[in-house]
Amino acid sequence: MGLTDRLPRASRPSDAEGNAETSRGTAVRLDEVSHEYRLGSGRFRSGPDRSLLALRDVSLEVQSGTILGLKGPSGSGKSTLLHAVSGLLVPTTGEVSLLGIDLTELSSRRRTRVRRRHVGIVFQGFHLLPSLSARANVALPLVGAGVGRTKRRERATELLDAVGLGDRTTHLPGELSGGERQRVAIARALSTDPDVIVADEPTGELDTETGAAVLELLTALGRDRAVLLASHDAATLAIADRVVSLHDGQVVGRER
Amino acid sequence: MSDDGRGPRRRRIRGVIGLTLTRLWKQATRTTSGRLVATLAGVALTVAMLLLVTGVAIALAGGGVATADDADVRITPDGETVVSSVNGVEGTRLGAASERAESIRSEEGVEHASPVLVEPTTLEPIDGGESAILVLVGVVPDDEPRTVAGLSTAALDTNNRRQIVLSETAADRFDGDAERLVRASYRSDGDTAFTVTATEPSTVEDAPVVLVHLDDLQALSGAADDDLADRMLVWGDRDAAAAAGADAYPDAAVERTGAASPASLFDDELAFVTSLLALVVGIGICASFITTTMGMTVDEDRRVLAVLEAIGFPAYSRLAVVAVSTLVTTLVGAIVGIALGWVGIYAANSLAGATVAAVHPLFVPYAIGVALIAGLLAVPYPLVVAARTTVLEEVGR
Repeated sequence: MGLTDRLPRASRPSDAEGNAETSRGTAVRLDEVSHEYRLGSGRFRSGPDRSLLALRDVSLEVQSGTILGLKGPSGSGKSTLLHAVSGLLVPTTGEVSLLGIDLTELSSRRRTRVRRRHVGIVFQGFHLLPSLSARANVALPLVGAGVGRTKRRERATELLDAVGLGDRTTHLPGELSGGERQRVAIARALSTDPDVIVADEPTGELDTETGAAVLELLTALGRDRAVLLASHDAATLAIADRVVSLHDGQVVGRER
Repeated sequence: MSDDGRGPRRRRIRGVIGLTLTRLWKQATRTTSGRLVATLAGVALTVAMLLLVTGVAIALAGGGVATADDADVRITPDGETVVSSVNGVEGTRLGAASERAESIRSEEGVEHASPVLVEPTTLEPIDGGESAILVLVGVVPDDEPRTVAGLSTAALDTNNRRQIVLSETAADRFDGDAERLVRASYRSDGDTAFTVTATEPSTVEDAPVVLVHLDDLQALSGAADDDLADRMLVWGDRDAAAAAGADAYPDAAVERTGAASPASLFDDELAFVTSLLALVVGIGICASFITTTMGMTVDEDRRVLAVLEAIGFPAYSRLAVVAVSTLVTTLVGAIVGIALGWVGIYAANSLAGATVAAVHPLFVPYAIGVALIAGLLAVPYPLVVAARTTVLEEVGR
């Protein structure tokens, strides 16, 4: 039995931030998105202003139930694109829609709310809170969502069971292996039952065997969610339904 | 997973508080968080010092020589009237002291009651030598040894008069030995001869005090006509003694002496200013310490705050984590400080062999209040550090 079978999607009320398309349709849409980082800016800057164009006129769509792989060398714009999709940054120009909600029109507070409800993020460096147990880490997004303690514990325990860490619920991150930590991070990303999973180099710090187990998990997640996956690694990108190549912030190729 | 409405908001607040407490507990017990310990220690030491200084101030306000006694209830005149005296200025006195002391003694639960008269008097050895002005304290002794003005009444015979007990400081000034006859002269028209029955260490350092029978001192000082006394000391059950004292002197101040009274600070300018300075300095040091250490802690915690933002914690929840951490750390530091302050006061009293610092149950809310004020003054800086956290700089790499 796979992860998706064990954790059926929860039904949720309609979203306050627009008409969320929770059915199997376009989950993510980028329309001519460009983003420019200003370097050396600030009140006490010295020297001339410099800027870096991280994304240039990127347009793409990701359907629910598909995995989109992003490949490209370091600095090609993969992470910037993922940050734009998750609402962590607002692109300089263009439109980013998540389930029909235009993130570029929302305030920071509302983008945080959309992220809380619809996006799960898996970081390359795990970013688990070191002083919290595995279960408390998984339950963390549910604290932000205002879910009660009992339901948080139940959900976190269920998710840890699903990722094969049912016997590690009380362990601190420092007491877990790299693969176990990444599985905790994936369970955390799933705790609010998001529609979109964003994973930046999810196997970057794992050995081959552990990485394969994590990819199996992500494959299962991609059955009824949109998954955006950025990686250098061909084996990781192999689970994607489509792969977009980026170079210097531009889409230079689309595969499958 | 809806988060609309007040229910989820309440659950979120409870969750954030729980998360913060869990993190603090784990940091304290399962990690080596030097900064957390430093914050706790800083607050605890500041609070302990504040309590010690306040305790000293209260003891100072509680009185010097004339109130260094072991009575359970103290009755003092409650008037503002000041009358002139040969030796200076003195306040209102209690009248019919011996008679009313007798009536107080007759009450159930009262062990003993003694009027106390305090008069500066010149003493000189009968067989020659230099005279000295000493503080004579008139008391009515009983069979039990009592402490009055820092001296034990045990050496005063209840049946014999014309006896005095010298404190060591008084003896040094006056060269008086036991059984030596001395002459006391209070006013130009009268001398009285006394026998020195003992020279004793006083619980009050450097006090030139001489214990004497009340009626002898009243006769010497002219207070016998109206049977005057400066105060009445009562030993026994506090409630019974206080009730008897209030019956005997309805217009006087009846004070239970079992615990020092912080209210006495307002009657003594020096003690009040001392405690006020300690309060202001204590809050300042405490707030500075919390600001610095919690600011550094939050700076180290930027990644955690960034992760919370990335997974959808609203801004106020992230800031609440910082504010609750700061206030809880301060509060725990205050509780440790109260314990340390208590120990410090007992240690100071033990070392001094006298009550140089008082303790009072009100110290607990006082210390917690001071720590909370310091915490509230300190909290804006960690909040500013937290608010400046940029999520992409911390987790975007």
